[in-house]
Amino acid sequence: MASQTQGIQQLLAAEKKAAERVAEARKRKAKRLKQAKEEAQTEMERYRVEREKQFKQYEAMVRKISLPLLELHMGTRTDIAAKIDGETKSKISGMAKSFQNNQEEVIQFLLTLAFDIKPELHTNAKLQAKLGEPAA
Amino acid sequence: MALSDVDVQKQIKHMMAFIEQEATEKAEEVDAKAEEEFNVEKGRLVQSQRVKIMEYFDRKEKQVEMQKKIQASNMLNQARLKVLKEQEEKLDKLIDETRRRLTTVTKSADKYAKLLQLLIAQGVFQLLEPHLVVRCRKEDLHLVRDAVKGALEHYTNITDRRCEIKIDEENFLSPQVAGGVEMLIPNSKIKIVNTLESRLAMITSQLLPEIRVRLFGRNPGRKFLD
Repeated sequence: MASQTQGIQQLLAAEKKAAERVAEARKRKAKRLKQAKEEAQTEMERYRVEREKQFKQYEAMVRKISLPLLELHMGTRTDIAAKIDGETKSKISGMAKSFQNNQEEVIQFLLTLAFDIKPELHTNAKLQAKLGEPAA
Repeated sequence: MALSDVDVQKQIKHMMAFIEQEATEKAEEVDAKAEEEFNVEKGRLVQSQRVKIMEYFDRKEKQVEMQKKIQASNMLNQARLKVLKEQEEKLDKLIDETRRRLTTVTKSADKYAKLLQLLIAQGVFQLLEPHLVVRCRKEDLHLVRDAVKGALEHYTNITDRRCEIKIDEENFLSPQVAGGVEMLIPNSKIKIVNTLESRLAMITSQLLPEIRVRLFGRNPGRKFLD
């Protein structure tokens, strides 16, 4: 029965080949899944770089980092700092002017009060005197 | 009778084809499944990573803005303090100048004598004691002797009380003092300081709000006035 054995061998070979093909498919699947991870990582890295660039732009805009040339002139002052400095200077000079205008008047006012002495008797003592109680 | 060889071969060929067919189908299934899972997995990873990255940078951006706000607020605070400090310095100088000018009155003996009398009278009225000690500057002794007489007269007229005043001729006020007297109850710790400096100090401290308004104008930012 050589033909029987041959037939069986053919079948066995076919089975083996079939199993190999399925195994290969499974290998491809595993590889594909790995690719998923790799591709996801690459894309996300790209996204991260892009987002970071946006962030750096935002940061620079918020901080208003002056150009090196301006730094020499104004120092590393932001626009807010410059505005506050300006307002402060004007407040101080306005205050100094007001002071200058009024100081003499205020000094005189204080001196007048200092020299204006009014000796007064306590109201209770006044009442005592009125009621005719004997003096202490 | 068993099948012929040819038939057997045909059968076997069928079966082989079947096996092959099944394998092909199975492989295709696996491939399809692989693709599906690939997409699902990649999508999942991308989504979760994207969310993380977004949140991370959003938070960083918020921090930067917060920092800037804090910085601005600090700068504003410093600026305000600077203005206030300038104000206070000017005010202190003005008070010093006023104190220096106190001596202008002591130059006129007439005016100063009247002043001394009032100062002493004020002390007597305040203390309401039968015995008092007056202390003054050495150079004012002469003026004070007269002033005491006038003050006591004034006192008795108003209150009908008597008082005996002794002038301290051993301890004097420092010549640095611009003028005025101290009055003490003998054998007691009670003392009234009625010098020009002490009057000025009391006046300035009580009137500080008004002085500030007169010098610098009303403060527009102020909300509470009492």
